[in-house]
Amino acid sequence: MALLGAAIYIAAHASFVSLQDEDLAKQTATLKKEYAEGGRPDLLAAIVKHARSPANSFRYGLYVDGRAIASDIDAPAQPPGVRDFVYRDARGARDDARGVTTRLPDGSLLLVAVDSGGLERLDAVIITLFSLALGVILMLGLVGAILLGRHLARRLDRISATAEAIAGGDLSHRLDVPSGSLDEFDRVGASLNAMLDRITGLLEELRQVSNDLAHDLRTPLARLRSEIESGLTAPSDAPSLRATLERAQAQSDSLLSLFGAILSLAEVSAGGRQFDFVEIELGALAREVCEMHAPAIEDSGRSLHVSMSQEALTIRCEPALIRQAISNLLDNALIHTPAGTTIRLVVQPAEHQARIIVEDDGPGIPEEDMQRVLKRFVRLDRSRLTPGHGLGLSFVGSVAALHAGSLELESARPGLRAIVLVSRAADASARSNRSWPPVIPASASPLPFARPS
Amino acid sequence: MDVLVVEDDARTGELICAGLAARGHRATLVATGSAALAAMERGRFDAAVLDRMLPDMDGMEALRELRRRGSRLPILVLTALGSVTNRVEGLDAGGDDYLVKPFALDELVARLGALHRRIAEAPAKIVIDELEIDLLSRHVHRGGRYVPLQPREFDVLALMARNVGRPITRKMFLEQIWQIHYDPSTNVVDSHVSRLRGKLRSSGQGDPIETIQGIGYRLCDSG
Repeated sequence: MALLGAAIYIAAHASFVSLQDEDLAKQTATLKKEYAEGGRPDLLAAIVKHARSPANSFRYGLYVDGRAIASDIDAPAQPPGVRDFVYRDARGARDDARGVTTRLPDGSLLLVAVDSGGLERLDAVIITLFSLALGVILMLGLVGAILLGRHLARRLDRISATAEAIAGGDLSHRLDVPSGSLDEFDRVGASLNAMLDRITGLLEELRQVSNDLAHDLRTPLARLRSEIESGLTAPSDAPSLRATLERAQAQSDSLLSLFGAILSLAEVSAGGRQFDFVEIELGALAREVCEMHAPAIEDSGRSLHVSMSQEALTIRCEPALIRQAISNLLDNALIHTPAGTTIRLVVQPAEHQARIIVEDDGPGIPEEDMQRVLKRFVRLDRSRLTPGHGLGLSFVGSVAALHAGSLELESARPGLRAIVLVSRAADASARSNRSWPPVIPASASPLPFARPS
Repeated sequence: MDVLVVEDDARTGELICAGLAARGHRATLVATGSAALAAMERGRFDAAVLDRMLPDMDGMEALRELRRRGSRLPILVLTALGSVTNRVEGLDAGGDDYLVKPFALDELVARLGALHRRIAEAPAKIVIDELEIDLLSRHVHRGGRYVPLQPREFDVLALMARNVGRPITRKMFLEQIWQIHYDPSTNVVDSHVSRLRGKLRSSGQGDPIETIQGIGYRLCDSG
């Protein structure tokens, strides 16, 4: 601002001086013309005429041998050229003037001058105006900065108060975010709130899992301990001791399988890049899993029907996880239904996705439990006596999510229908030689249970 | 079988060695990767059990170093990390099999036996008593009569035949035939074996497959 003021001041001053110099030069030229036409007498007459004119602002002087012979300015003779000099005004005070001195052909010196007072007043006005403007701007800036600072401090204080409350352990605190138009702080607040919601959700889930885990581990551990205790205290003959040990071993095996399920669920839920995705033909993989489960399902008095899409469905996936997900769904369909149930597995295309459906015509689950059973460790009361740890569907859901898909449950009227969606490979024609399965024996025959429906 | 056991946890190491000894094998226990490499330079072993976490070097590092030295010793990697990625890494580094802790000793011994056998021989045809298994054409005859088998039933029989007289655990069936590394709740293996049994029985005398309670199955060579 001060720099701008200085620049304007210098520019205005220079342009005013140059205008003044032009006027002085013009006036001098007029007088020289008078001199050329009529010599000194005409010149003097012109000077007197000009000096008496009310609009005139010039002062004149004619010097011969350094002495003024005609002058309305009290100043000594100046050397020829343009220069600033000092004169005495009517009251005898020193004052600044600027003038042009010209040597006439008879050797006398002609001075045409102006008082510098006008220029000085202009300079003073410019300086005053700029000082005022600068002052006002500085004041406004200062006041603005103080107000803005207070405002920012208040907003930040609210954020830090919330952060402190959360650090203090109360996770329910949130920043106030008004609805409607949001400024930058509101937007930061909204994202912080979203982050807090996510963290709270994760912590809640973690707490839930820990509780369930504690509960689900405590029961088999307690049983294991009492088996060992009874083996140690009861009168021991070798066969009964052996039976006790076998029961204890079965208990520890079920604990280990629970651990395995928790670990693989954690691995899949964490997602990330640790999986090496390859492109496979989903139909072939599903057929393989069915082939694996078919004998067990048929031995249990249930039947398995498989219906595959005619179209080859290429998906990018971790085959082991997809296989285990389908396997879990088939396991569920077998475990939670009575003998005589028909289980169907369908693989079909769905726009950019592939759909894997496992459904049964068993008792199904109540509508209100559909969402609940997808959660970890949730087991419906009537399945308390069947094997399993309540992680199977969570695992399937996590596998689907890892493959940019989803798991949905719906009633098959009667029975339960589980629908897994996974995204299809972007370019199915670019199937590499890594496709799955790697080798199908030449003698592989059509599956006896694979009836198209 | 001479087995080198590389395990830094003393109690686990002792249990493995005792288990091997109880089943008629000789076991040598070392606790570090460098001791393991030195022992393999000196002695002749039929198989090794290698823990993934060792005090002086990562088990995978020891494994790579061993393979770099040209050893073809069958190696079973033990680990507490059971994830898909860890297993792949273990097999990439040159391990022959991978077993997640905790495990049953029977499982360990059965796998070691299978590893030792797998490296030792790879015949095209196996004949056990009146059972004739052609591994190339995938045809099975019993007492001269053709036994029609489903592909997976054949794989189950072939796996037992390659390890005749030794138990094959359910896990081994699941891993080697279906490439799955989790426990399905349903009796996938039992159902396949029971079908295979039925077909073998109907074309010959007696049941050549013995059930080993809580472990798995074994194909007997004089039954």
